[in-house]
Amino acid sequence: MYRDKYFFLLPGLVVLIAIIIFPLLFTIRVSFSSWDVFQPGLDYIGGRNFARVFEDTRFWESLLRLSVLSVSSVLLQYVIGFALALAVWREIRFRRFFRVLFLVPMMTTPVVMSVIWRTIFHESLGPANDILQAIGLGTVPWLSTGTAAFISVLIVEVWQWTPFMFLLLLAGLVSLPREPYLAAAIDGAGPIRTFLQVTFPLMAPITIGAIIIRLIEASKIMETVYVMTSGGPGTATETSSYYIYIRGLRDFQIGYSAALSLTYLVIMIISLTIIAKVLARMLLPREG
Amino acid sequence: MARIELRDVAHSYNGGKDYALKPLNMVWEDGRTYALLGPSGCGKTTMLNIISGLLKPSEGRLLFDGVDVTDSKAEGRNIAQVFQFPVIYSTMTVAQNLAFPLVCRGYPVNEIKQRVDSVAELLGLSELMQYPARRLTADQKQLVSMGRGLVREDVSAILLDEPLTVIDPQMKFELRRKLKQINREFGITMVFVTHDQTEAMTFAEEVVVMKDGEIMQRGAPQDLFERPGNTFVGYFIGSPPMNFLSAEVAEGKLSCPNTKFSVPADNLGGKGEIQIGFRPEFVELVDPEKANFATARIEKVDNLGVETIVTLTLPGNLTVRAKTTTRFHQDAGDVVGLSVSDDRIQLYSNGQRIGQANEMA
Repeated sequence: MYRDKYFFLLPGLVVLIAIIIFPLLFTIRVSFSSWDVFQPGLDYIGGRNFARVFEDTRFWESLLRLSVLSVSSVLLQYVIGFALALAVWREIRFRRFFRVLFLVPMMTTPVVMSVIWRTIFHESLGPANDILQAIGLGTVPWLSTGTAAFISVLIVEVWQWTPFMFLLLLAGLVSLPREPYLAAAIDGAGPIRTFLQVTFPLMAPITIGAIIIRLIEASKIMETVYVMTSGGPGTATETSSYYIYIRGLRDFQIGYSAALSLTYLVIMIISLTIIAKVLARMLLPREG
Repeated sequence: MARIELRDVAHSYNGGKDYALKPLNMVWEDGRTYALLGPSGCGKTTMLNIISGLLKPSEGRLLFDGVDVTDSKAEGRNIAQVFQFPVIYSTMTVAQNLAFPLVCRGYPVNEIKQRVDSVAELLGLSELMQYPARRLTADQKQLVSMGRGLVREDVSAILLDEPLTVIDPQMKFELRRKLKQINREFGITMVFVTHDQTEAMTFAEEVVVMKDGEIMQRGAPQDLFERPGNTFVGYFIGSPPMNFLSAEVAEGKLSCPNTKFSVPADNLGGKGEIQIGFRPEFVELVDPEKANFATARIEKVDNLGVETIVTLTLPGNLTVRAKTTTRFHQDAGDVVGLSVSDDRIQLYSNGQRIGQANEMA
């Protein structure tokens, strides 16, 4: 009779195999083939694709760029999100209105918003330069120099995903116990001491969760880069996922891009595990 | 140290629709130990938070030694408050935790060290000073919470809001003893909120019983036990609760149907519904022939180790409980006699105490 349980598990297993296991195994198989636009097919060429990955400086540069972009954007999101959450945490006027307002960027489609931001940053037509000019700061070549383009992408990322951080941190703040705050008030702690000694330690587990979730998401950045800069100028804003996209779907080097994807996957798993461990050690009290 | 006075203080959480604390006047004398006792939601914590300044009363004034402090904030009042769940600063060591209130107030370093050391000594935390506070046990954490209050030598009063709830029973006794010792040594006023009556009775010199935002009775534990001011206090204090039987006045005598109870009562006519009340502890179980109060059938015998609680049914289906510490050999179904001395029987009219049976003659 216990064999019946497999019958009930079947739908879930089928879906799991279809959407995760099969594509993953297939990607591994493809990464050992020379499948490209001239010779489609699953031949076997050993580890030559992986050897090529290690020599591909453009890939490693894009990976470095991605790490800088995701770490800095997530940190900015965390700081701004925390500040906003603290601002609307206590009773203030129109609190409900602000809470909804802060969530708007997250609810919009990334592609659409990237198009709008591209217009804002347009060098001769966009309002960003108009405003800078009006206050006498001169124009900035937002999307045509490397550094400025990188910062533009960073701004849009922060704008788009701070609300998510805000939401997670606000949920955490709302669930905090009241007693530590009462005790801090009686002990005579001011707002800064209260934040450092009460709020921040209590929020540590939520902080770690929020940062990890956002790092995973931020590493997949694609739409913003694609729409705003297409990785340019040159390769100044090209991230890993965008580079893999170019190799796979523009050049149709399927075998090679599969090898890139797997390398990327392994690096992400290792680095995020390390980051999570380091954050936990830094922020969480060690028991025992 | 201060004499704390509440003048017409009342509080409502919803702008006057319901009162969590009904208007009351009250004085907490300097250096005494008080217990606030009452069921959940009776306004105990509200009263405490008003005194400590975490809550501003919607009506009335609060005076410390005659100085109006109604509008000053918690940190300005020199009140220490200990909460139901121990609050520690988890990133700090025990010593840093104890020093925190002084650091916040900008005390000089050597004075902080001296005060922290003496408080740690008093609470028996000296060994643990450099230990991270988060790794302490619950009762040690609660000691640290208390220590943060004691470390300020000018503290006016210590308010304890059910501080022993999370503590093991054996430790409870120890902590209570420590609190009393602190009270004796430093003469700090202590207000202890609890819903555990034994805790209240053993800790405090004076017990205040509250219900629905009102003070029901205030007095020494002995008074509350022997002469409850109303039927609520009779029910609430004591385990099992006081026995209440309805009585009637006829021909100048107050008597209780189905019992031998009868006292002269010339001045009780027209006093409304009259009840007599007596503690289970004051019921003596005797031979049916020798009984001065009634004969009854034993319904149930609960042996609690040291004491035995006997549930009895009187004629007319009245239930009375007796508590006895002597060895009890009878069983359910047996018939026994009940004796209650007249000076142990309280009289109530419409729920309020009007006297004692032996004073009626």
